[in-house]
Amino acid sequence: MIRLEDVTFSYASSKPALSHVTLEISDGEFVAIIGENGAGKTTLVKHLNGLLKPESGRVLVCGVDSRETTVATLARKVGLVFQNPDHQLFAETVEKELAFALVNFGMPKEKVSEKVEWALEEFELKQYRSRSPFLLSGGERKRLALASVLCYDPEIVILDEPTTGQDSRQKHRLASLLKRLNEQGKTVLIVTHDIEFVSDYIPRVVVMSGGKLVADGPTGECLTRLELLERASLISPQLAEISWDLGLKSPSIDLDFVVAGINEMIRGLHG
Amino acid sequence: MKVLAGFDYRRGKTPIHKLDPRSKLVYLVLYSALTVYFKNPLILLLLFVSTIPIVSVGKIWGRWGISIKGSVFFISFIFIFNFIAQVLSGSTMADAVLSGISMSIRFVALISIFATFFLTTSPEELTQSMVQLKIPYDYALTFNMAMRFVPTLGKEAGHIMDAQKSRGLELEKGNLMTRIRNYIPVLIPLIISSFRRAELVADAMESRAFGASKKRTSLYVLTMGSNDYLFIAISALSFLLLLSLNLFAGIA
Ligand SMILES: Nc1ncnc2c1ncn2[C@@H]1O[C@H](COP(=O)(O)OP(=O)(O)O)[C@@H](O)[C@H]1O
Ligand SMILES: [Mg+2]
Repeated sequence: MIRLEDVTFSYASSKPALSHVTLEISDGEFVAIIGENGAGKTTLVKHLNGLLKPESGRVLVCGVDSRETTVATLARKVGLVFQNPDHQLFAETVEKELAFALVNFGMPKEKVSEKVEWALEEFELKQYRSRSPFLLSGGERKRLALASVLCYDPEIVILDEPTTGQDSRQKHRLASLLKRLNEQGKTVLIVTHDIEFVSDYIPRVVVMSGGKLVADGPTGECLTRLELLERASLISPQLAEISWDLGLKSPSIDLDFVVAGINEMIRGLHG
Repeated sequence: MKVLAGFDYRRGKTPIHKLDPRSKLVYLVLYSALTVYFKNPLILLLLFVSTIPIVSVGKIWGRWGISIKGSVFFISFIFIFNFIAQVLSGSTMADAVLSGISMSIRFVALISIFATFFLTTSPEELTQSMVQLKIPYDYALTFNMAMRFVPTLGKEAGHIMDAQKSRGLELEKGNLMTRIRNYIPVLIPLIISSFRRAELVADAMESRAFGASKKRTSLYVLTMGSNDYLFIAISALSFLLLLSLNLFAGIA
């Protein structure tokens, strides 16, 4: 379980990047954090493996206060992948890149190669196994970065903007992988601007704006509140747009629901 | 890496920001020379303290403070290395300690002098002033772009360390050799991304016709005002004062 209790944090000399954030995410949840650029999303996730410690308030990860442990200990449980893959790829080959975290966490040799094989397969990187990470394309590097964390099988998976630069096929693969991990009982948290990705796959949304948590609830509810979306500089999901444009009684982001609404309207016009 | 915050220029409207870069350059050269020349810890301390009015008028406490705090990390190294070197070369313990203290203060004073300069001087104006000092534009620009990217590099190093720590890298673990080796996963991405960025910047500049005409025109021409002459006068006077202290009172 992840718990933030009234967390405030500021970088040197500026207004707080997080102010009084309280949030609880239970084991096995699948949550999206959305919000405008500079809303504090990255700052928030950096608190979840102890890279940043709260100025006031507390962060509890699996019952442990982040101030009373090390990043390396928390990282074993919390897999955090950042936006920019170029900030972490360094090894000679894709294989060695994947093994890096596994070796850091002291896994035995057979286990390391087993996990590396799994990741190569899962992320369609097999043909690149002995190639330098720097020769991969942008999208492939991004996938390798994801793979290099997911391969050590953390209980909690946190991805900062994982869909940027991925085509729709890769997005789909990522979504189904995350869904599968979630069904296996992992907690999955992703930061994204990709509203369609959220509305298609993720049941719970946390909306941030200006360092504050401004909404937290079921995706269908949050993403059909226009004022909220505007506040967080987000595009509304297409289905919500259609609902508003047609003046449906209850706007929704569920395709079946919207179709039913339209059918009802048509019936109303006939009758 | 926090020391690099001392190169992070932000626009400002204080009298220090408005000074001509050339007058600040005079200050930078004279004061750095003094700091390198003197060994007396009290004089070095005085040189450090003399930068504080500039920090205060220039309202750069925040980034200056970060930079100074960051330099404290290096001081312990400097002190230890200097101490060992002095003892090995046959100085007494007391001399070795004194020299270590001097070196440390000298380092902080230099950081402070450079920080006051770079925190209050825009890279564009600095380039322009170098051009007006008849330095070829290409060199002036190269120098200033290098300076401009110092804080960027510092920030990037921070991001990279965060990413690698999240993959279980422990920088402070192991003996000296291991610790140095621990930095490989930080340095390689840093170097590679610097090359990437250099290429991007070169492409961007060329697509905006950099080097298309031999003779560039300037949008602004820098002129010296009364504040500039005052600033230069104060810098020069204090320089001469300290120098005479050395010549006539024998303080080194
Ligand atoms: N290393 C840093 N130093 C200083 N300020 C920072 C740093 N990182 C982020 N910020 C500031 O904190 C705020 C929140 O940033 P961030 O958490 O990265 O937002 P997001 O991920 O939602 O785009 C922004 O105003 C940003 O400028
Ligand atoms: Mg971010």
